[in-house]
Amino acid sequence: MYNFSKLLLNENMKIYLRTRTWIMTGLLLALVVFMTVPVYFMSKDSAMSMWTLVKYESAVGYLLIAMFTAVVAAGSVAEEFTSGTIKLLLIRPWMRWKILLSKYISVVLFALLQVVLLYAFTIAFNFLFFDHTNVTAEEIHGFFVGDGQYEGSAAVYNMKYYAMRFIALLVTSMIAFMLSTVFRSGGLAIGLSIFLVFSSISIGPIIGLIDYKWVDYLFFVHLDLVPYLTGNVGDRTLGFAISVLAVYYALFAALTWFVFEKRDVGA
Amino acid sequence: MEQPIVQMLNVTKRIGKRTIIDHLSLDLPAGEVFGFLGPNGAGKTTMIRMMVGLISITGGEIKIDGHSISKQFEKAIRHVGAIVENPEMYKYMTGYQNLVHFARMVPGVEHSRIQEVTELVGLGSRINDKVNTYSLGMRQRLGVAQAILHRPKLLILDEPTNGLDPMGIRELRDYLQRLAKQEGLAIFVSSHLLAEMELMCDRVAIIQQGKLVEVVKVEKNRESERTATQRVVFEVDDLEAALAVAATEGIAGGRAGRAIAIGADKEAVAIFNAKLVAAGIKVYGIQAQHQSLEDRFLEKTGGGHIV
Ligand SMILES: Nc1ncnc2c1ncn2[C@@H]1O[C@H](COP(=O)(O)OP(=O)(O)OP(=O)(O)O)[C@@H](O)[C@H]1O
Ligand SMILES: [Mg+2]
Repeated sequence: MYNFSKLLLNENMKIYLRTRTWIMTGLLLALVVFMTVPVYFMSKDSAMSMWTLVKYESAVGYLLIAMFTAVVAAGSVAEEFTSGTIKLLLIRPWMRWKILLSKYISVVLFALLQVVLLYAFTIAFNFLFFDHTNVTAEEIHGFFVGDGQYEGSAAVYNMKYYAMRFIALLVTSMIAFMLSTVFRSGGLAIGLSIFLVFSSISIGPIIGLIDYKWVDYLFFVHLDLVPYLTGNVGDRTLGFAISVLAVYYALFAALTWFVFEKRDVGA
Repeated sequence: MEQPIVQMLNVTKRIGKRTIIDHLSLDLPAGEVFGFLGPNGAGKTTMIRMMVGLISITGGEIKIDGHSISKQFEKAIRHVGAIVENPEMYKYMTGYQNLVHFARMVPGVEHSRIQEVTELVGLGSRINDKVNTYSLGMRQRLGVAQAILHRPKLLILDEPTNGLDPMGIRELRDYLQRLAKQEGLAIFVSSHLLAEMELMCDRVAIIQQGKLVEVVKVEKNRESERTATQRVVFEVDDLEAALAVAATEGIAGGRAGRAIAIGADKEAVAIFNAKLVAAGIKVYGIQAQHQSLEDRFLEKTGGGHIV
């Protein structure tokens, strides 16, 4: 009815006025510093490519971002319930679904900001320490992904890597947001979604090997999209994997909004 | 009378098999402080939650300013300010930031209004401190501030005096009356503090177990007090003689322990006293027993059975 951007402004204010948000951001940047600097001093290989470090730091950084986003997503809804402020929030001339949407968008914006920071900082910081001649992904140790070798430059690979990871991040943060809304418990939302992130990374590929058709329709088999950069994984294509994730994403969103819309806000 | 600001029609709330609010109908006029009185667990908070759309209504309808709260939520809630139970605010923000937050959610609330409201509730410079440093009373004040920020037509306060010191209660009472009288606001206050209600409200609805028991107009008028018939107790040396005087004067008198009680207005009290003295009876004391809201409340809700 009025200005939706004001709702977004409010939700952003609630995220960025909290010290924990800045601690998490600081940790993310510290991770890059504390990986690059020791490697720089220890490595005798002065011609080491910056992209090698960018690759490792991005992988670890994304795990941190998945956790941090879960924390923010959990805080966004569950904490309004535990603190009781939800009662003041919902008695304004706004439909509930719009309030929830503003919350969700602010969570995604937080995730995006962290990703952009990670991307820019890993490149900028490693640029200062290591060799930055353009290399192909092939030349970088450890760029074997999936069954094949990625053809093309390391810089382009890095961009695609971020895109693949971001799609998965959208799904896991929706899960955290859903748990936060449905269970109204921040701790549970954080714990469960972090568990999901880690288990999907560790057991997802293994389950993916199971030779039943239904396995292909489990979402956590598809949370790691990076192998698709070098072609299909088994008989699954990237398009199929993203479609499965999209269906789950839509289901989670529908459930989240439905529960929030219908909920009796009691004591 | 103009259209009531709130119309509750056969409002019912069931949770599981329990009926918490049972076919409650009530209209609230503008410009009055309306009390909602009931023992613990009567359903006051539940009713208020339905009025502001926090919980669904099982049956019946609540209209605010003519709009149904369940069907036209945005329109109905636009002119409502409320505190439901405790005034929980964002603790990691300052009082001012909290008010900015809520001001953004309703159009037309300027920064000058935030200042104005801060002054009205007497938060002063503490408005710039984080809410987690506030005392309960200060949070209560901030709660009132966020509720009146957008100049609502209806103010709903659930136990607003909870945590306020006597001075704070008095101030709250005064500015609630002021808001009601000057700005024509309807104020709906729930409480189980009887004396408080009596001082604060123009009218009081008594509810029990989710049912409306009675709506009482609170008598504040000195003039009507003078002419109202009250129960008056005379402490005398000779009770039998006093009863005899009452009988000859045609006044219904009864025993009240070792004293005599009659029902009379102020004039009749003076006359009866003169008769007693004329009959040589010593009068040690005269006490008017004002029937307070408390008596009414206890009488209606069956005394001692609170909860
Ligand atoms: N979610 C719920 N499920 C079941 N019963 C409930 C629920 N919420 C409230 N009740 C019951 O409804 C009744 C009314 O509760 P309510 O909180 O409205 O009372 P109240 O009049 O505000 O009391 P108090 O003076 O203690 O604040 C109580 O008996 C309570 O146990
Ligand atoms: Mg209550």
